[in-house]
Amino acid sequence: MTAKSRPHRLRTSPVNGVPDAPSTNSRLPYFAAAMTRNQRIALVAAAVVVAVLAFVIAQPGDDEDGGDRAATTPAQTEIEETADGGTDGGGAEAPPETDEEPPPPPELDATRIQMRGGEVVGGAQDIEVTQGDTVRIVVTSDAPDEIHLHGYDITRNPAPGQPARFRFRADAEGAFEMESHVAADAGKDPLVARVVVEPS
Amino acid sequence: MTFLAHGLVARSDLPIPEWLFGWAAAMVLVVSFVALAILWPEPRLERVRWRPLARGIGRVLGSRPVEIVCGAIGVFLLGVVVYAGLRGVQTPTANFAPTFIYVIFWLALLPASVLFGDVFKAFNPWRAIGRVVGWVAGKAARGDLPAPLAYPERLGHWPAAAGIFAFAVMELVASNGDRPENLAIAALAYSALTFIGMALYGVDTWIARGEAFSVYFNLFSRMSPIETRDRVVGLRPPLAGLAALKPGAGTVPLLAVMIGSVTFDGASEAPIWTGIAPDIASFFQDVGLSPQNSLELAFLLGLTVTILLIYGFYMLGAVGAKSVGGGFGTRQLARAFVHSLVPIAFAYVAAHYFTLLLFQGQSIAFLASDPLGDGSDLFGTADSQIDYTIIGANATWYWQVGFVVVGHVLALTLAHDRAIAMYDRAKLAVRSQYWMLAVMVGFTSLALWLLSQANA
Repeated sequence: MTAKSRPHRLRTSPVNGVPDAPSTNSRLPYFAAAMTRNQRIALVAAAVVVAVLAFVIAQPGDDEDGGDRAATTPAQTEIEETADGGTDGGGAEAPPETDEEPPPPPELDATRIQMRGGEVVGGAQDIEVTQGDTVRIVVTSDAPDEIHLHGYDITRNPAPGQPARFRFRADAEGAFEMESHVAADAGKDPLVARVVVEPS
Repeated sequence: MTFLAHGLVARSDLPIPEWLFGWAAAMVLVVSFVALAILWPEPRLERVRWRPLARGIGRVLGSRPVEIVCGAIGVFLLGVVVYAGLRGVQTPTANFAPTFIYVIFWLALLPASVLFGDVFKAFNPWRAIGRVVGWVAGKAARGDLPAPLAYPERLGHWPAAAGIFAFAVMELVASNGDRPENLAIAALAYSALTFIGMALYGVDTWIARGEAFSVYFNLFSRMSPIETRDRVVGLRPPLAGLAALKPGAGTVPLLAVMIGSVTFDGASEAPIWTGIAPDIASFFQDVGLSPQNSLELAFLLGLTVTILLIYGFYMLGAVGAKSVGGGFGTRQLARAFVHSLVPIAFAYVAAHYFTLLLFQGQSIAFLASDPLGDGSDLFGTADSQIDYTIIGANATWYWQVGFVVVGHVLALTLAHDRAIAMYDRAKLAVRSQYWMLAVMVGFTSLALWLLSQANA
């Protein structure tokens, strides 16, 4: 590295083709010195107001309600199975918009996953649920396997005629992979499904 | 969908919602223009003011006993990593080595550096060993040791760039990169390289300029208000350390590797990559490579191309800044502003690995008790578990966006300060900043976009 390339020396080196000498005054029209202290504060304040307003407007309202609901009912006991006709994805069972009388989280229908020859029939899918849901997953397999749900750390061993049943409350948000250890050991793609837990 | 992604990740983040993405992107623009309008008219960061910590605390923290204790801890931990890697169970999550290297060393040291200064320098095991060897050799020789070679300017930050690239390949490309044994061997090989570098160019020179992790963490520590000078810990204005950075050969590529590897890690989980990776891999397979090697080669290609794109985009900004006049060359400008990429690199890492550190970091509690995974319980914490509920998705999103926006503000502050220090005419300084601002808005938008991508 030459001395010339050092930035802090650059200013002292002559600048090509620029005849006018540097002076503080030449900066004034372009920089903050042209603004008074109050003007600067006002500009920052205006920017903050815009940012906050935009945030409040952009943020979907039901998000907040959902957060409140979760906070006011921290420990809901698991409810008995209901015969609601919910789909495999939990998204259809979104709670109603009103935040009076929060309904208990619905227990979802079990998601069924079929494994044949060490592979998921139809490919690995996302199982979308909402935080607080009780999730049920049933894995059937034509061969003995070891299925592990990361994060929630649940392991079940399906065998022919013996489906593996997962049942847990989705407390932690995020995406969690469910893997077949038999497939992993065989050097195959071990992903069985992903449990995607969205905030309530 | 690949099964290369490192096995330490048991949980992945949900993509940030669209409205937050839009809001954050708009905020980046607002912040940029407000900053341009109100930032100071005279350079403030170029003259570094530094004063020791009050009441002799700075002197105590920088003293030799503290240095010896920290160095011993560093050497001990390196030993544990190598021993656990070679002798422990080979399941990545059940062995001390992978989590310690990828989460504690690589991730937790980063916020520590930004907050408390060059922490890694104190604990650096290679520096500690090098200094002890030098001291013993000096005693044994009873005279002056042969002087080390002068560090070639052409080498600059290239060894560091190569080292960080190799680490990224280990983490993101190699399918067995989280296998404890491989990590232990890599640590030993890297130690050997470091000892050679220190023997050739001197311990302190190699640590300061060539050793990849020292250079990496030192770059981030320059954001910190804490700096050690002549064995005394003191305070300086935040970011001033970055303005004092002397970029040389390889500095811009080093930053491109740092930002590019995180970008690739994010993009490799997104449809943009998972859509084409199998095609690239099957091409290599047709050429005759094994399926595993094909996939690795595809990932290596993806990583390299991403880094080159990041490098090219930054250089484009430098070319633009050159076009405003002022008599500076492209390379000169690229080096003059490269320090402003450090906060952006920090924002990338912080936003992308925030939850990995928070969640996987907890596992060090049980791994410390059972480093080999053989069922021992040294500290009674072997049964502890990771609590995945300590932070929810909403809070995670706000933190991630916060890191990205703050990194952007710090970067443009640094670029602004440098521009007014460099250019004699305010008009040129402002115009050059438009180019650098465009580069930063580009990098920041990319970071937000990566956060908004659904993992596949």
